[in-house]
Amino acid sequence: MISQELNDQITRIGPETQAGAVLRRYWQPAALSDEVQGDVPVPVNLMGERLALIREGDGLLLITRQADPSEAPTHHPASGDIREVQGGPRYPAVDRAGVVFAYLGPGDPPAFPNFDCFRAPEDHVFAFKGLWQCNWLQALEIGIDPAHASYLHRFLEDADPEEGYGQQFRDKAAHTDMPMTQVLREYPRPDIQVDETEYGLRITALRHMANDLTHVRVTNQIFPEAICIPMSREMTITQWHVPVDDENCYWYTVFTSFKNPVNKEVMRAQRLKEHRLPDYAPLKNRENNYHYDPAEQERLTYTGMGLDINVHDQWAVEGMGAIQDRTQEHLGRSDVAIIRYRRMLRQAIKAVEEGDEGALPMRGDDVTRLVGPLSNDSIAGTQDWKSASRAADLARRAECPWDATV
Amino acid sequence: MTSHPETQTVRWTRIASSSELDTGRAVMPVTLAGQRYVLFRDDEGQLGLIGRNCPHRGADLCFGRLEDNGLRCPFHGWHFDRTGQCVEQPAEPEGSTMHTQIKVPMVPVREEGGVIFAQVSEGERR
Repeated sequence: MISQELNDQITRIGPETQAGAVLRRYWQPAALSDEVQGDVPVPVNLMGERLALIREGDGLLLITRQADPSEAPTHHPASGDIREVQGGPRYPAVDRAGVVFAYLGPGDPPAFPNFDCFRAPEDHVFAFKGLWQCNWLQALEIGIDPAHASYLHRFLEDADPEEGYGQQFRDKAAHTDMPMTQVLREYPRPDIQVDETEYGLRITALRHMANDLTHVRVTNQIFPEAICIPMSREMTITQWHVPVDDENCYWYTVFTSFKNPVNKEVMRAQRLKEHRLPDYAPLKNRENNYHYDPAEQERLTYTGMGLDINVHDQWAVEGMGAIQDRTQEHLGRSDVAIIRYRRMLRQAIKAVEEGDEGALPMRGDDVTRLVGPLSNDSIAGTQDWKSASRAADLARRAECPWDATV
Repeated sequence: MTSHPETQTVRWTRIASSSELDTGRAVMPVTLAGQRYVLFRDDEGQLGLIGRNCPHRGADLCFGRLEDNGLRCPFHGWHFDRTGQCVEQPAEPEGSTMHTQIKVPMVPVREEGGVIFAQVSEGERR
């Protein structure tokens, strides 16, 4: 449990807030590159501000647009109806990995790290986004909680992994014939280790199996509000949880493929089928009970909400309320990464308040030196899981046609 | 504790008819004095009226799994009996006793003639 005062401090992100001041010191996903293919300006609702993307020269620029205070948080006016607030803030924007990133903070923006999603060639990355009706922090916290996958995403039967292209947890585990869904179901009590890194946190979930084998799942928190996790043997997910305002957020995901180019048509069609445009709101949502089916919950999935794990996550975080009431929470050992992350965020808030910008992670001159991060599922001998996990990731990188060396 | 509706200290308010729970899955949301609860019938046929948000990280127990004589949160498998007591936290380390310290708010209920009543304390009476 934390105090209401602390909960407000770490969740609220408007222009005059403490967490907002931290997030504004980093590049924020503002739109998909797909969204700026057609007419500009494109409306952008970001960090409690009403903005729009325009083209300026060869690049992009974020302007402040006129908006009625009563309009919906994700209001998406037609391009022709957008008017700039004269003299209002303007922010730099750049197109990277299928996402338009914007910098809403003071001074110069930080450099981009040399992570896999930013150095893979254009045909090896695919980006998409989706709206969740809740605060960004609870959306991030589910992404740094490795235990929930054994419950929330439990499949009571395993599908054929060959049919699972482009979907999370639907591949085989490492180089075995065991579907990932079976590993998660049969080993539901992971031993979770958290290490602080230059970019945030490395989170390792160990599932100790029979015959002295351990399933090792390495995921990452990238400061301030992204995660990088494995999706399949072929792909990783880098995902930002970006505030629209205090009570709504978008997830922006860059799928990065190692060996083969991404089949973007399949990936896009899978996801467009589950969302409406232009606001990328999911078709399964609170208003229709996420298509909850008690019969399915009894025999097929843990939630009764279908096979798309994004819907499970969305239900979990939206059901907490617009801003999770953390004065009532009871964190356990499985929440160790959440506890560590909140500590980092509070340290960053303090650094900004004290004018000690140099103490902020991911802002220094050496950010471009950061590669990876390693995000991988592997099965290893329990005694040498650490080196075996790393070797498995390096083997994947060695077969990669682009420079994925770490 | 008396169950008589006319008593000075304990009052009962109608929250549902028994038939509303005869839907194959006996779980429904109930709002009482502005507080959100979930009503369910366990394997023993007894009713539980407990806080709607899981005390772990706030997930909505109205979508809980009705099993093992209680209600289980789909987020991390925390399991609650009809008194609101947490009886299992399957993701926590083997041998953890943390669950013994966790109880969600519980409101006593009684069922009579096909109607379900919840106890309202004097302070909550409207």
